[in-house]
Amino acid sequence: MTAKLQMLALVTDAFGGSGGIAQYNRDFLGALTESGAVSSLAILPRHAPDRSVVPPGIRQSPARPGWINYALAALLRRWDRVDVVFCGHLYMAPLAVLVARQARAKLIVQMHGIEAFECPTRLRRAAVEAADLILCVSRYTRARVLSWATIAPERIVVLPNTVGECFTPGDGSRLRTEWGLDGKRVLLSVGRMDSRERYKGHDLVIKAIPELVANGHDVSYVILGGGDDQPRLEALASQAGVAGRVRFMGSAGQDTLVDAYRTADLFVMPSTGEGFGIVYLEAMASGSPALGLAVAGALDALADGELGMAVPEVEFAAALTHALDRPKPDPRALANAVRARFGRDSFTKGALAALDRVLEAA
Amino acid sequence: MCGLNGIFAFHSASCLPSNAELLATRDAMRTRGPDGAGLWRSHDQRCALGHRRLSIIDLSERASQPMVSEDDRLVIVFNGEIYNYPQLRAELQTEGARFRTTSDTEVLLHLYARDGAEMVHRLRGMFAFAIWDDRKRGVFLARDPYGIKPLYTASDGWTFRFASQVKALLAGAQVSRDPEPAGVVGFHLFGCVPEPFTLYREIRALPAGHTQWVDGAGPREPKSFANIAAILAEGARNAAPDADLNATVRSGALDSVRAHLIADVEVGVFLSAGVDSGALLGLMRNAGQRDIRAITLAFEEFRGSPEDEAPLAARVAELYGAQHIIRRVSEREFREDIPAIFEAMDQPSIDGVNTWFVSKAAREAGLKVAISGLGGDELLAGYPSFVDIPRWRGRFGPLAKMPGLGRVSRALIGAFLPGFARSRPKALGLLEYANTWPGAYLLRRALFLPHELGQIMDTGLLREGLRRLNPLRYLERLVEPDPGSNVGRVCAFESAHYMRNQLLRDADWAGMAHSLEIRLPLVDVSLLRSLASSLPKLSSGAGKAALADAPSPPLPGEIVNRRKTGFGVPTGAWMDAAGRAPSGGDRAGAHKGAVSRRWSHVVLEALTSPSQAVAL
Repeated sequence: MTAKLQMLALVTDAFGGSGGIAQYNRDFLGALTESGAVSSLAILPRHAPDRSVVPPGIRQSPARPGWINYALAALLRRWDRVDVVFCGHLYMAPLAVLVARQARAKLIVQMHGIEAFECPTRLRRAAVEAADLILCVSRYTRARVLSWATIAPERIVVLPNTVGECFTPGDGSRLRTEWGLDGKRVLLSVGRMDSRERYKGHDLVIKAIPELVANGHDVSYVILGGGDDQPRLEALASQAGVAGRVRFMGSAGQDTLVDAYRTADLFVMPSTGEGFGIVYLEAMASGSPALGLAVAGALDALADGELGMAVPEVEFAAALTHALDRPKPDPRALANAVRARFGRDSFTKGALAALDRVLEAA
Repeated sequence: MCGLNGIFAFHSASCLPSNAELLATRDAMRTRGPDGAGLWRSHDQRCALGHRRLSIIDLSERASQPMVSEDDRLVIVFNGEIYNYPQLRAELQTEGARFRTTSDTEVLLHLYARDGAEMVHRLRGMFAFAIWDDRKRGVFLARDPYGIKPLYTASDGWTFRFASQVKALLAGAQVSRDPEPAGVVGFHLFGCVPEPFTLYREIRALPAGHTQWVDGAGPREPKSFANIAAILAEGARNAAPDADLNATVRSGALDSVRAHLIADVEVGVFLSAGVDSGALLGLMRNAGQRDIRAITLAFEEFRGSPEDEAPLAARVAELYGAQHIIRRVSEREFREDIPAIFEAMDQPSIDGVNTWFVSKAAREAGLKVAISGLGGDELLAGYPSFVDIPRWRGRFGPLAKMPGLGRVSRALIGAFLPGFARSRPKALGLLEYANTWPGAYLLRRALFLPHELGQIMDTGLLREGLRRLNPLRYLERLVEPDPGSNVGRVCAFESAHYMRNQLLRDADWAGMAHSLEIRLPLVDVSLLRSLASSLPKLSSGAGKAALADAPSPPLPGEIVNRRKTGFGVPTGAWMDAAGRAPSGGDRAGAHKGAVSRRWSHVVLEALTSPSQAVAL
């Protein structure tokens, strides 16, 4: 590891931001600085709603919301010596190439999910092809990038999301009582209901509920997350005659989210478009078994069926019934298995290895 | 000679290798190694190796693979032969290495223990191997400079897999079958898939003359350790115009043949009526081999005609006192074997049928190892391309430099002389491609030219494939650094493109399908080095004449002066017949290029939808 390594991170958001990408950026950049691998880190975010949470030792510039404003800030500001530029999003890759060339620094570009599934503009593709290392959150995202980028496959490395320390098994009965779910078999999904995307698979679960009930499972289906597709899903539940069993609980804070995972009998999300699917990990780390489809990035979070259940869509309804027929697995054992693969230690090891890789690249 | 495979779950999130996959991949290569099979797993279960063995050196069980070093640190799976292993072994023994076998495999283990990745510079032979280094928790892979032995890898970002064959990796059922547009376009352009591409995006060849390291941080980019163009360039810098060509060829070829005879089983020879195989047979005799069986392929259609190679080959066999076996093949046998040929063909190829039959004949004769003259035309400027390409560059290159002229003339001829455009598609490309070496070579070797592919391929796939393959850039890299002479450039192209991707690959799958090891004394880096300084001034025909003169007694003049036919003239007509739709079609104008084009469709269809092959 090179001593006194200096890094510049061009990100949408990191510290003070919300959502999966901001979390990933915090995890990645935090792992590199906490381990001492990067001695100096400067972050230029586009958004940073709450600047008060930047840890000591990391410099995060004020957010630059506009594209032009952001690009000018990145290109014109006189950064200290920069060894590595970290680009947190495909959309920023062309700018990151310019900044890295200007600084004669190595370039890491991070890919998450849906933004990388299809071939981007020529400029962005060229920028990706010019990077020294591409980090992808899942094997699926990596395969998609390789389908459109002409780049040595060895330069595309998978560094999966890591699960937060707060997600641990525990007693979820308080929330269960509060939400009136005592005695129910609780199914849980966590994700946005976006009418433009509709890949999370809420529909499939709602349509499967009548058969579960007919098979003697007194289920309630809790959906956490907001979005403009909720009215359609409510109507779908009514049509299926299960409106009373589908509970739209809106977006939840972290404490509620942890308790929701703990109280669930099964975390179920037959999504077809996950870049990775961090929510499967959070659920399993909180002790809830998880069921998803053997499609896209979900396969990684479910570890090809070794941590959770990953089935083809045609087998989904049967797998759901089967999962509820079985006793809930030991939450501690499940959580430990998740941490062994996707815990903080593994993530830090992966992040450091990625940094080594970019430094050893010719 | 064997089949090897491995699975390394290098990522902390990945699942451990399954026995089912390991076995499915290994045993898809059964014919590569019918004499034994082995498995090995690391203590933490993250790395698993498989091997199928064709025993040739040290036939004992002790020499079976995967082979573990005495201290348990290193484990190897190896396919190939190290011809200088006795010298290396003696050297290592002097330094204190203790050997438990007399195999070349164990020499590799000790050499890696001593030299690490630098070991590859010491090896003479054909090889593909993987060594698990338990101390470094990683796998080291290497492939010989010419790419005689294959090695394919596939990484999904969590797990790294490798095997001797593409189809074996697919048989494991965990590798994506998503198509690689560059591989598909490459096959249409050349009639073979140019490495590192395969038909599948996830599967890549470890390039010839490269090593690769894989550890917990994932696979690193392959590193080159030997390069044909660089060896030729070095030779050109030390050009020896006054050297005695015949003496140089004689000593170099004899040395190579001698090295290639090392074995604990009988070594036979493929014998045509050409210079290369005849000279090798003579040199085998000169090297001291007493009993030699020589296999000649002959065809019922040619019996009694001047095209029949058998009588001339018989004379050569008699000259050098070899036991001669003539194996006649009929069109009927060809048709009967087509399903088996397509099943054995690892990646699509428009050639290899002749090697299939001569290997079949060798195996029927009970041989496990046969010497082949493959590589003589590449090394000693035996192809017409050595004359054509420099000539095209001279005649048409200056015109082709004029921007747009090529495309404009092609469009005009296509519009006003459509018949000419159809019958001479490559002539149309002269003004477009002859201005660069890669362009002229593409013109020489192309099955279809890029502008023709739009008629036979999906436009999107074509565009993406051309972008990813970048054919001219791909060819340009084969002559970097510049070999320094016309002969050197064409030699580099023919060796590193045509021979590597077509002939050597065909020799591998067609030989291995019959559990036969094909040895190639004329595809030898030591020999290339010894000749490299003589090649720049090589005049047309001089190289082959020198090779004919190499054995004692030399080959008779009628062999040297015979018009080159190579093995298997009628297979072209058979392919032509088999390549036609059942409804028949226009049989007129079935020249070689048109036959190859039609045959390429049959092959690709058979290999991408296997049920089609049987119905043919």
